[in-house]
Amino acid sequence: TVQAKKVGIAVAGNTSRLADMAGLRLPIESHVLQAFVSEALKPLIPNVITYGMGHFYISQSDKGGLVFGGDLDGYNSYAQRGNMPTMEDVAECAMAILPGLGRTRMLRSWGGIMDMTMDGSPIIDATPIDGLYLNGGWCYGGFKATPGSGFVFAHLLATDRPHDEAAAFRLDRFRSGATLDERGAGPTPNLQ
Amino acid sequence: MRITCPHCGQRDISEFTYLGDGSIRTLALGFGGPDAPPDAEIDAAHDAVFLRDNPRGHHRELWYHALGCRQWVDVVRNTATHDVISTRAAAAAHVELER
Repeated sequence: TVQAKKVGIAVAGNTSRLADMAGLRLPIESHVLQAFVSEALKPLIPNVITYGMGHFYISQSDKGGLVFGGDLDGYNSYAQRGNMPTMEDVAECAMAILPGLGRTRMLRSWGGIMDMTMDGSPIIDATPIDGLYLNGGWCYGGFKATPGSGFVFAHLLATDRPHDEAAAFRLDRFRSGATLDERGAGPTPNLQ
Repeated sequence: MRITCPHCGQRDISEFTYLGDGSIRTLALGFGGPDAPPDAEIDAAHDAVFLRDNPRGHHRELWYHALGCRQWVDVVRNTATHDVISTRAAAAAHVELER
């Protein structure tokens, strides 16, 4: 047994499973997000290109492979892999903006587990259980937000008050009506 | 991943649209006038609309056969392996849930 006065949950993808150990149900569904790497190419993309309408991103790693991805598969999953329809959809997005990639071969694919919330925004708050804190629900935006997320979570753990930047990410906002639904998709995690 | 539609047979998932947890009981929510509903009603509504079990393992869920018969299918699927355990017409399953 490991004991502590304060425990913070920051386990994106498996948040519900840990919260369940404490008897908590959360407004989160775990979804698969696939990512892909192509064979190595000579320098082609010097930055990150995001294609808003297609919900697609692509960049190039130092090893030459193109790193890209797009939408969720759309169903609850802890499998860490997705299915072919999404692969096809992501490839179509790549072709829409960079048709020259048509002959590039896909080298590797995998899937992560996303904490998809009921409004598409994260949850950084104390839980109803004294001493237990939560930093999760980052949907597919957590990786890049990690430094900021860690900073405000540390503030919460140290002071028991939310940081100004994170004050809106309350766990009870779904009950009070103060949801942060930027996409306006409603309480349907796979549409966020 | 394939889902066996009870009306159309086994089809690829690209023919279906996913809704989510199929074990949620829908509520008739009362929006009566200036009197706020008691907290119990708000809690029940909040739980049904926003909270999810989100299990790693067998998950009861609803899929809509959009590119086929356009009927709802009640599916039990393993979220860790994607194995589809069982499927049946959602209408029949819903009657059972209400009992």
